[in-house]
Amino acid sequence: TEFRSADIHPDDYPTVLAVRHMGETLAKATGGRHSIKVFAKSALGNEKDTIEQTKLGALAMTRVNVAPMNNICPATMVPTMPFLFRSTEHMRKVLDGPVGDEILRSCEAQGFIGLAFYDSGSRSIYSVKKPVKTLADTKGMKIRVQQSDLWVALMEAMGANATPMPFGEVYTALKTGLVDAAENNYPSYESTRHFEVAKYYNRTEHSMAPEILLFSKKVWDTLTPEDQKAVRAAAKESVGLMRKLWDEREAKSLAVVKAGGAQIVDVDTASFRAAMKPVYDKFLQDPKLQDMVRRVNDTK
Amino acid sequence: MALTILCVSFTALLLLGVPVAFSIGLSSLATLLYEGLPLAVGFQQMISGMNPFSFLAIPFFIFAGEIMMYGGIAEKIIQFAKSLAGHVRGGLGMSNVVACTLFGGVSGSPVADVSAMGAVLIPQMKKEGYDADYAVNVTTHASLVGALMPTSHNIIIFTLAASGKVSVAALILAGVVPAVILTLCNLAAAYWVAVRRGYPAGRFPGWSIVAWSFAAALPGLFVVAIIIAGILSGAFTATESASVAVLWALFLAALVYRRLTREQFLKAAAKAVKSTGTVLLLIGISSMFGYLIGLYGVAELTGKTLAGLSTQPWVIFLWVNVILFVLGTFLDMAATILICTPIFLPICQQFGMSTEQFGIVMLINCALGLNTPPVGTTQFVGCTIGEVSVGEVMKTIWPFYGALIAALMLVTYVPAFSMALPNAILK
Amino acid sequence: MTAAPVFVEGAASLYTRCCAALARLCLRLGVAGMCLLVVAVLYQVVGRYIFNNTPTWAESGAVLLVLYVTMLGMAVGVRDAGHIGLESLLVLAPAKVRVQMERLIHLLVLVFGLVMAWNCGVLAASVWDYRIPTLGISEAFKYVPPAMAGVLVALFSLEHLVALARGTEVEPSWH
Ligand code: NA
Ligand code: NA
Repeated sequence: TEFRSADIHPDDYPTVLAVRHMGETLAKATGGRHSIKVFAKSALGNEKDTIEQTKLGALAMTRVNVAPMNNICPATMVPTMPFLFRSTEHMRKVLDGPVGDEILRSCEAQGFIGLAFYDSGSRSIYSVKKPVKTLADTKGMKIRVQQSDLWVALMEAMGANATPMPFGEVYTALKTGLVDAAENNYPSYESTRHFEVAKYYNRTEHSMAPEILLFSKKVWDTLTPEDQKAVRAAAKESVGLMRKLWDEREAKSLAVVKAGGAQIVDVDTASFRAAMKPVYDKFLQDPKLQDMVRRVNDTK
Repeated sequence: MALTILCVSFTALLLLGVPVAFSIGLSSLATLLYEGLPLAVGFQQMISGMNPFSFLAIPFFIFAGEIMMYGGIAEKIIQFAKSLAGHVRGGLGMSNVVACTLFGGVSGSPVADVSAMGAVLIPQMKKEGYDADYAVNVTTHASLVGALMPTSHNIIIFTLAASGKVSVAALILAGVVPAVILTLCNLAAAYWVAVRRGYPAGRFPGWSIVAWSFAAALPGLFVVAIIIAGILSGAFTATESASVAVLWALFLAALVYRRLTREQFLKAAAKAVKSTGTVLLLIGISSMFGYLIGLYGVAELTGKTLAGLSTQPWVIFLWVNVILFVLGTFLDMAATILICTPIFLPICQQFGMSTEQFGIVMLINCALGLNTPPVGTTQFVGCTIGEVSVGEVMKTIWPFYGALIAALMLVTYVPAFSMALPNAILK
Repeated sequence: MTAAPVFVEGAASLYTRCCAALARLCLRLGVAGMCLLVVAVLYQVVGRYIFNNTPTWAESGAVLLVLYVTMLGMAVGVRDAGHIGLESLLVLAPAKVRVQMERLIHLLVLVFGLVMAWNCGVLAASVWDYRIPTLGISEAFKYVPPAMAGVLVALFSLEHLVALARGTEVEPSWH
């Protein structure tokens, strides 16, 4: 069968290319019995829509960020937590290890087979008027966030005024001063042209919430154990390519925004880290999740 | 095969007379059934499609428009337009164009515009010896300009359909010059027909009357300023500015013009609820349809087909215009925008058209569709008010059509008309 | 005249009156919802400028509320024939065929309403356990209005069918 997989990103985005590659691997492994067709550019809806469609079995697969899964599968909260990972290497090591596997497995009860994690880079705050170097700088700043409890709490912990707003309005809002800052990773900062209006890219790297590749349990149960194994193997195999493409993409975007006049600002992240306790207290009350965070911190 | 089912069932339902929204919905459901997909997916897309925060501006613009209509603002605008243009040959026709365009700017909805302005002006024109078909054509064409102006909820719909690639502010600015061009074309057509038919001219009331009536209409027109200034200065998002527009309209109608009774307020609100239901249902159902368009890769197919026809941008743009126009005659404005933007925007961009310019071209085409049978909403309202048949109006529609199509061609082939202003202010 | 037709006639007119009352109620609720919407968004503006604290629930609350307003309005639209469609064939058809066509149209809309009600119920059940961000209530509340509206659409289409059978017309409800 040709499995349908959804993605919100454009055709040349690393996640889309990686799932296409996974489809080729899968076709080879199953002698052409199974393949994957990727519907990019939100053709089948936004991330929340495609998650629901995957649950209903209308889609075989979807690639989404872990954030919209937080409501559905609480363990995905852990890698979403702000200032959790110390570096990209740390994040990759954790997600490749037992903690990552545990999170993927936890989705099964909700109707999803977690296949793999992809990178989403690190998100940082970019501001219009002044750079952000320490926690004091975000005080009172109007920062655009996505509509999510965690993000609102995160901004409040930084002393900022969280302002939810549709994505398409952010450019004008930055330009006109409706908000002082927004936050995202390098590729989005570049492709949205936000760097033209918000010159300071302050490397807060407050979130490294990864992408997750989900398979529909409904469809999964119709596959033979061998085919299930082949799907899992193909997914894991695509991670390497994805990371390579991601790193290239990030480097390219960084070059573009620098050429466009953006200033990359180094941030004293320790002051931010210290302010996050209320966020962790509020969102990670489950001792099992707290233990997971401990294990993440212990991962060297 | 699936696409055939979709198209054939849609056409059959539409011809039978099933309302457009339900025709789209039922044909989409039939196709989902054929594909073996759960029907729930269709409804999930429907709800998700009508649910973004920016769409809140739609009920607000509709609500503000209704309050304006019941609150006496419409009449002030008519008085001003008449004092300004009444003395030209076919003066009531000219005043009508001015009034409809101004109120279109305030209400944002061509249909509301025709019902508000037409109800007063069409009978008046008939009484003073103008033919009904002329009165209706002038009103319905002038009302279309409102679709390009700041209170237009169709602008909001387009920014969403273009999936965040363009901001409301940019599109509002892009629409300013085309709106002026459309108005000039409307005036030219109204004048030309008036001269040929020998319609009367009124007397110029003197500049002091013009000034007074302008002052009386100004607070009503101020709503446009609130929205533009609010969005461009960054004081409000589009949705917030729309809610402020409601507040302003209420304030004017209830306290300044003192025309809005409790009963009339309820009437306006109830009508706004019904219109909101109609418009947002169409938006949601179009997302259901859009899901299938995405599933079958219609955008890619269309893009390839068009690109195969020619490598000349002007040929591609002409084709896109023709297709949009034809679809616009059958579908409602919101449905056309939501279904066609993802299909035609990529190919137009590939041939060098910007998102803003495409948006304006799209809006003008959809607006023309409102005045074209078989599903011509504003034309239908105008004909009802003028007590004249659609067939009769169609016989003499050509000068007005010609004028608007000329304006459409100017906007399609001269990017500067739509792009100069947003480039100058936002870049 | 026998008792049966009188009884049927009485039942039909009672049904029509119930639908009219229901439609009026829908519109009143819709008007209340519309006013609340305006207040919620204005409150957001006030919050940002006066309290320097943007109330984040205002946005998600308004986005949920607009679904209720929309669905109420669209259901009443079915009753008051507010949804536009193509009328040329209907007008051209001979009277007898015309009635059959109208019957079919209302029947199709009725089916759509029922399918909508059922499937939105399915969706509500499937997202029952999830919360709406910043509001904290179940996501099922998103699918309650369309499920309700589906039932209303079916009821109002049935009213049109009844009216066709009786040779009467459905009077618009309120305003
Ligand atoms: Na307007
Ligand atoms: Na039309």
